[in-house]
Amino acid sequence: MQLRLTINDQRHELEVEPHRPLADVIRTDAALTGTKVACGEGTCGSCTVLVDGRAVLSCLTLAVACDGADVRTVEGEDELLGRLQAAFTAEDAFQCGFCTPGQLLSAVALLRANPRPSSAEIRAGMSGNLCRCGAYPAIERAVARAAGEAR
Amino acid sequence: MARLVKTQVEMEGRYEERWTLVEEDVTPEYADGEELAVVGHPHTRVSAAARVTGGARFISDIDLPGMVHAAVLRSPHANARVASLDRAAAAALPGVRAVIGPGDVPERDGRPVLTDAPAYAGGAVAAVAADTPDQAERALEALAPGWEPLAFVVDLDEGLARQEFTEDPEETSRGDVDAALAGAAAVIEAEYRTPTQIQTPLEPHCAVAAWDAGGLTVWSSTQGIFAARDELARAFGLEPDDVRVVCEYMGGGFGGKQGCGPEGYMAAELARRAGRPVRLVYTRRDEHTTAGYRAPTVQTYRIGADADGKLVGVEGSAVIGVGVHGWVFPVLNPAEALYECAHVRSMVLPVKLNLGFSNAFRAPGVMEGTFGFEQALDELAEELGIDPLEIRLRNPAAIEQASGKPYTSKHLEACQRRVAELAGWKERDALRSDGRVRRGMGLASQIWWGGGGPPAHATVRLGKTARPTLVCGFQDIGTGTMTASAVVVAEALGVPVGHVRVQAGDTARSGYGPTSGGSMTLASVAPAVRTAAHDVRTQLLDLAADMFEIAASDLVLADGHVSSRDGTLRHEITEITSKLGNSSLVGHGSRGPNPDGMRVNTFGCQAAQIAVDTLTGAVTVEKVWAVHDVGRIVNPMGAMSQVTGGVLQAVGFALSEERVVDPTTGTVVNAGLEDYKVPTIADTPEIVCEFVDSPDPHLALGIKGLGEPPIIPTAAAIGNAFAHATGVRVRQAPFTPRRVLEALAG
Amino acid sequence: MKPFTYSAPASVAEAAERLAAPGARAMGGGTDLLPQLQRGIRRAGEVVDLRGAVPAGILAAGQGVRIGAATRVADVARDPDMAARFAVLAQAAGAVASPQLREMGTVAGNLCQAVRCWYYRHPDLTCWLRGGDTCYAQVGDHRKHGLEPGDCISVAPSDLAAALLALRAVVTTNRRESFPLADLYRKATAGDRSTIALDDGELVTAVTVPEPPDASAYMRAGERAAWSFALCGVAAARFGGEVRLAAIGVSNLPRLLDPADPLAGLPGLEMTGWKRRLLETLTQDALAAVG
Ligand SMILES: Cc1cc2nc3c(=O)[nH]c(=O)nc-3n(C[C@H](O)[C@H](O)[C@H](O)COP(=O)(O)OP(=O)(O)OC[C@H]3O[C@@H](n4cnc5c(N)ncnc54)[C@H](O)[C@@H]3O)c2cc1C
Ligand code: SF4
Ligand code: FES
Ligand code: FES
Repeated sequence: MQLRLTINDQRHELEVEPHRPLADVIRTDAALTGTKVACGEGTCGSCTVLVDGRAVLSCLTLAVACDGADVRTVEGEDELLGRLQAAFTAEDAFQCGFCTPGQLLSAVALLRANPRPSSAEIRAGMSGNLCRCGAYPAIERAVARAAGEAR
Repeated sequence: MARLVKTQVEMEGRYEERWTLVEEDVTPEYADGEELAVVGHPHTRVSAAARVTGGARFISDIDLPGMVHAAVLRSPHANARVASLDRAAAAALPGVRAVIGPGDVPERDGRPVLTDAPAYAGGAVAAVAADTPDQAERALEALAPGWEPLAFVVDLDEGLARQEFTEDPEETSRGDVDAALAGAAAVIEAEYRTPTQIQTPLEPHCAVAAWDAGGLTVWSSTQGIFAARDELARAFGLEPDDVRVVCEYMGGGFGGKQGCGPEGYMAAELARRAGRPVRLVYTRRDEHTTAGYRAPTVQTYRIGADADGKLVGVEGSAVIGVGVHGWVFPVLNPAEALYECAHVRSMVLPVKLNLGFSNAFRAPGVMEGTFGFEQALDELAEELGIDPLEIRLRNPAAIEQASGKPYTSKHLEACQRRVAELAGWKERDALRSDGRVRRGMGLASQIWWGGGGPPAHATVRLGKTARPTLVCGFQDIGTGTMTASAVVVAEALGVPVGHVRVQAGDTARSGYGPTSGGSMTLASVAPAVRTAAHDVRTQLLDLAADMFEIAASDLVLADGHVSSRDGTLRHEITEITSKLGNSSLVGHGSRGPNPDGMRVNTFGCQAAQIAVDTLTGAVTVEKVWAVHDVGRIVNPMGAMSQVTGGVLQAVGFALSEERVVDPTTGTVVNAGLEDYKVPTIADTPEIVCEFVDSPDPHLALGIKGLGEPPIIPTAAAIGNAFAHATGVRVRQAPFTPRRVLEALAG
Repeated sequence: MKPFTYSAPASVAEAAERLAAPGARAMGGGTDLLPQLQRGIRRAGEVVDLRGAVPAGILAAGQGVRIGAATRVADVARDPDMAARFAVLAQAAGAVASPQLREMGTVAGNLCQAVRCWYYRHPDLTCWLRGGDTCYAQVGDHRKHGLEPGDCISVAPSDLAAALLALRAVVTTNRRESFPLADLYRKATAGDRSTIALDDGELVTAVTVPEPPDASAYMRAGERAAWSFALCGVAAARFGGEVRLAAIGVSNLPRLLDPADPLAGLPGLEMTGWKRRLLETLTQDALAAVG
């Protein structure tokens, strides 16, 4: 099927089979491998991207269902994402870094909806992204730091 | 001049005498009490930019021209024979480039990688490579295997009853335990059970293999590029240097990615036959069925003490569910070595089961053994009416108990006292109540190895821009070895950490570096890095001395400048290096052996505060205090992250992680992250962490390892806290709502 | 995942027509359908994306609210009116899965999701509910299953179902104007293993809560602090002097409980006795919360 996607402000016209997940299309067809697939079945959050502003799991999203959509990944440029990337670095909010792109996109969605989250709100808002390295305390600090540094 | 010496080498508690090439490098030690400008101060990761922007290319991201995709046919049966396999049908499908089956892949550790007699559900039978993942899936279906299911045993108790072992049960003892226990003032007997815990790296096991005229290149999500290289060379009959193993970024290992896994063998064989690069990525299900795990145990202890709480006898046995095969890890080491005791007997029974192989998972054996032993010790303390902290302080081991050798350094008691102070141990009873939610505090201690050792090599180059490059043979699996190494270089050369480029994770680029395991990477690598960097430093200072006509010994390097001690002279380092043109200063270093006749161990103590909802069975770990004795801390920021990670994996072990195997079909029923529950950010306790930052006087740079220690005592501390909170001991992890409600119901 | 065709009809009528074709599957957010297709639990010839066909959004309906079938679970959770007047539903919606899955999942998809029994979801087994002969759970490991004996001992998973059942919600489909939520569900029988009582081509278009309760609350216990299906979830809504209690995680279907005897008919099975205690606790907590 024909598919038009805007990924990080770049337009893509793709020919995609209907059963292919958005994650696969982003990683393969658009060659943006920052988005990770750790489970492929909606249980880890590594594949989180923004589709029309909503943080969703790209492994359980059909690419063809996103025709005309605006997709944002970790490779995108944006002030809030940049602030979060700096905060994740400063707080050592990752170890292997495999979960990090997904964490960042969830954090973007969280701070867009709630620019000054409490600790409990950060923990709830980030609970859909597993980190097996256990960077959680630093992730919480990083999200709080990025929120605090808002202009 | 280099020479070969026989030295003791340790890996995860196994000691081996090995010939080791020792170069005449004596590690340039930091002076006692020397104020270090970079080492010991917090630093963010050198790879941070790549990891937060999506620029880091992980193994599962690697895409080569012409690359095709692999899929593996796995047995759905707990034990079976493959009666038929239609390879021709699979090979005839569109896009299919190679089909391999039993016998087609070189053996791994003397065992087939693909077999027609898979002895567990998930055992690999055949593999295919095709242009797209979908085509590979279709090819698997076309193989239409004919299965002949066979009888199986997956239950640990049943396996023990059947007495089928992967290795002979082994008994070790010192002294006369029976007599000692007969004379004890108090003896407790207890049985503890621990679950199968899956490493669950977020990047599954994966490999990309490609052949060319020069040989084989494998990008492997591995903790040991050199181990992987050697395995592959042996398997495929190649010279070690005809195999190149690359691992720049990988998504977690936690012990389960040592060397080259079956995925690398399969990818290499498929690539050879397909004549194209092949990528093979395990599914999440594979991670839970065929990629290894911390083996489940049943531990039984008999521990006796005199009226003062001095241990007189310790007897332990551990039944370990090893699976079809696997290393037998030292589950009873804590019982044998954590405290002083003259009379000890231990028995290990490694049971064979129709389940995938077990392997290392962060502090293998010792972590689960500590869960049992450190709780049993609390039971003894309670029996004697002695405070749990006190009984530990009354039994310090002055020398290593099994070998009778002295430690290079030991600060366990300092850790115990400090944790008690931080946690408010004395007032812990104030947490308790009779209400619905009960709070309590417990603590537990830890012993582990982790001294590192040879061989490890490093090269440092400094060129005209004064931005040093470190070339070293390790892989950074997320533990921060890259950053810590850059810190060591920056200290020696007086340049910012961010100016150090670290090239690692490629066997073609460097000399040997160790596997990331056993908490030995940094302790092995850092001295080599230091020596190499110091070599460059000496050369640089000599050049400066010539240029500025001053004695090299009167010069110091710091903040990007070379200055005279009296402060009269100060020049940017680039003033010197700019003169180098296209030459560079090159320094080499290698890791020397640890002192013979001594034991290197790391120690620590943790306390946990938990809350138990007695009506829902929900357990919340509210706070964990961790103090560890791991020698010199090179990068406190990275070290804290290691502690946090270990504690959280132990929280999962204690509360929610448990692989469940169906008794009737012998298959794993929670083979995924939905039913196998690892902690989320919402499960995270507040973690307070300190180090006894005391360089080990006998080890190069005073560094011990830190990877495993923090995971070891947490679960036992949680167990002890549970007993303190409720007065009930749940001797089986994890403490799920079901187990808690059942235990509290009596 | 096996290939299929995809359509995104713009109207309910067109969607119904496409769904009448054999092998056609309705999709909302796809968060349950797609994992089932991946594991071969179900097959699809065509996936019919309902998000452009059925309504989304929360509208006032007299005293109550009408929730479009394609409304995202997250939008229910964050709706201020919902939190104020239908607390049990907002709380239940906020407890579903994870933030991302709530952004994706639709209300109808949540109500119509399949059971989570780990044998049902096993790629290599075909249990009784999937059309096979054996309920593996009864002979195997059913530590998280229900309290009620039967052919199948799996439990209702939908948090929204508990809340909506307590709220006396009614369902609207393209074929029927309104019927009680309880009638959306059926017990699987030897002859028909489906658990959702919709005809071929029938789809949920809205769920209506006729009136707000005087007080309501949702109590739930999972396996970890976040992102876990409910081991047991209890919704309570008080309308004047009457309290309606509904539970998931305890029997095949979302279940109305008798506040005086919530455990009635739920004896517990060999490995699930502990859930009786949990159900009792959550019931008491929920009752206490609604006064
Ligand atoms: C890891 C994980 C955890 C989860 N945790 C929870 C949880 O804690 N609580 C909970 O309640 N749920 C949970 N879910 C389940 C569920 O996926 C989501 O709750 C979601 O709301 C389902 O909605 P959907 O729109 O994505 O469903 P879909 O997958 O689109 O559909 C589910 C089913 O409903 C049918 N359907 C969809 N729309 C209609 C319609 N309009 N009319 C008729 N039939 C329709 C589909 O054909 C399909 O059979 C979890 C899911 C995952 C993957
Ligand atoms: S409980 Fe139901 S779904 Fe689970 S195995 Fe039995 S029949 Fe299948
Ligand atoms: S890869 Fe999408 S949730 Fe795990
Ligand atoms: S940093 Fe490794 S999984 Fe999060």
